[in-house]
Amino acid sequence: MGSSSELRREQVSLVNSQNTNSTAKLLAEFRAAFLKDLRSYIRQPAWVLGELVSTPLWFFFFALGVTLFAPTTPAAPGESGISFFLLGFVFIVLFGTSIWGIGQTVRNEQTAGTLEQFFLAPASRITLIVGRWARIFLTDSVIIGYTTLLLYLFGGGLVTLLDPGLFLMGLGLYELGLIGFGLFVAGLTMQIKSYNTVSNLIFFGYMILTGALFPITVIPTPFRYVCMAIPFTYFIDLMRHAALATPTILPETLEYVVAIVLAISMLAVGMVMFNKVERDARSGGSIATS
Amino acid sequence: MKHYTRYPGNFLIYLFLPFLFTLLIFGMGRFVGGGDAALNFAARTGTTNIIVYEILGSAVWMTSWVVVEDVGVALRDEQMKGTLEQNFLAPVNRFTLLVGMSLTDIVITTGIFFIVVGATLAITLPSSLLSLIPAFLILLVGLIPLFGIGFLFAGFVIRFKEPYIFIQTVNLLFATLTGTYYPVTFLPYWAQFVSGVLPQTYVIDEMRQIILANQTLVNLYGSVFVLLALALAYPILGYGIFKRIEKRAGVTGEFSKY
Repeated sequence: MGSSSELRREQVSLVNSQNTNSTAKLLAEFRAAFLKDLRSYIRQPAWVLGELVSTPLWFFFFALGVTLFAPTTPAAPGESGISFFLLGFVFIVLFGTSIWGIGQTVRNEQTAGTLEQFFLAPASRITLIVGRWARIFLTDSVIIGYTTLLLYLFGGGLVTLLDPGLFLMGLGLYELGLIGFGLFVAGLTMQIKSYNTVSNLIFFGYMILTGALFPITVIPTPFRYVCMAIPFTYFIDLMRHAALATPTILPETLEYVVAIVLAISMLAVGMVMFNKVERDARSGGSIATS
Repeated sequence: MKHYTRYPGNFLIYLFLPFLFTLLIFGMGRFVGGGDAALNFAARTGTTNIIVYEILGSAVWMTSWVVVEDVGVALRDEQMKGTLEQNFLAPVNRFTLLVGMSLTDIVITTGIFFIVVGATLAITLPSSLLSLIPAFLILLVGLIPLFGIGFLFAGFVIRFKEPYIFIQTVNLLFATLTGTYYPVTFLPYWAQFVSGVLPQTYVIDEMRQIILANQTLVNLYGSVFVLLALALAYPILGYGIFKRIEKRAGVTGEFSKY
């Protein structure tokens, strides 16, 4: 009996093993996950086309609304706050990756009835999810790139990026935070299943409270403290500082430290939370469609 | 209706979004315009009541979102469950079926209108509360061409089977082209031409005229007439295209899930 249950344990552990000991294997898994997601994305041309049209449309729609408030004397291209909003658009698009990209992966697989197959693959779940992130990051970059080009062609001027090095560092930290948050949301999705309302609320809360579309100094003081308690506020602030030399919320050096600590912590918390939820779901038998 | 009562979160989102988008536009606008933001806004729109101006656009946008989404997703749901064929085989006229699916939306959109616009007026412009009635009449007339657009959309869903991305794209196009947060005169000429054939453009503009400029329906007879013409044209056009797609689907077997 003892050896039989031991064998079963080993079998289960083999099936569900997260063999990511070597970097080569990890990279191979990551590559496979990325290609799998890219293939399934390209297979849905309506989605591709819809995303390419609708994402920049959000930007132009809001930008037009905001121009009602702008000074009536026309500003020179690049001085009209367009760079500020375009950056906000970039932050929002990338955040959407976390919520609807990484977070919704699990739910999509669940409703398609393929989550069990996904989890039975001899690869780390986290690598699979990060592979999806990479695909979305690629398509987001394309969308952001051509929106910027369209903006330029429509006379919005070139986008300012004063310190590209610092901006890339901020972007890297933001992405780490996003992957961590995405994993957290993916875990949440597995638990609560009917998730659309929650994801919408998180997304809209992000738009208002993190300073993505307007500086948090516009928000009255008691609410501003809520903004300052949200980690994404600092990544956004750092990137905007790098791009447009806007003043930082915290003293500059402290803000670097805070952003680095938050990025690493978010990633760690996301991974721990996702692994725990997955373990609980497997033992509780709740990896089901509904 | 059962769906909405079972998932009240869906309805709450429709109530929450108009306020959220208005708040976002207002926050960004204040940042861009600084101390003169309200004056700049008034110079371009003719009103200083920013919140009511934006909320009216938002509320109409949400009603069109509900109609387009409900008709499209309802058919897709039937398709996914494999019950679309049974519905279409029932001895019921397609038009009746589509109208039946749309009737719930009258209740939902009425709720959105009175809660969102009513609450905003009660707080910011109580003297205009009575003008809610003619504004609501305009909304009701505006729903008829929207149902026509919904029928058209239902056909596309059967054909392309991708309602969600279509819904998002179409609703964003509507929001951008119908002057949800700005006068349509802000758009390029070619886009203004497209705005001119969208019913929401007239609904939003007439509501703003009635509530913010104290106009009556009689004063606005020109655009009311255009709206009535659209209310006749869209259902005929939408249903005609739906029937064509349905006929083709019967031949090619496109009623299937995938």
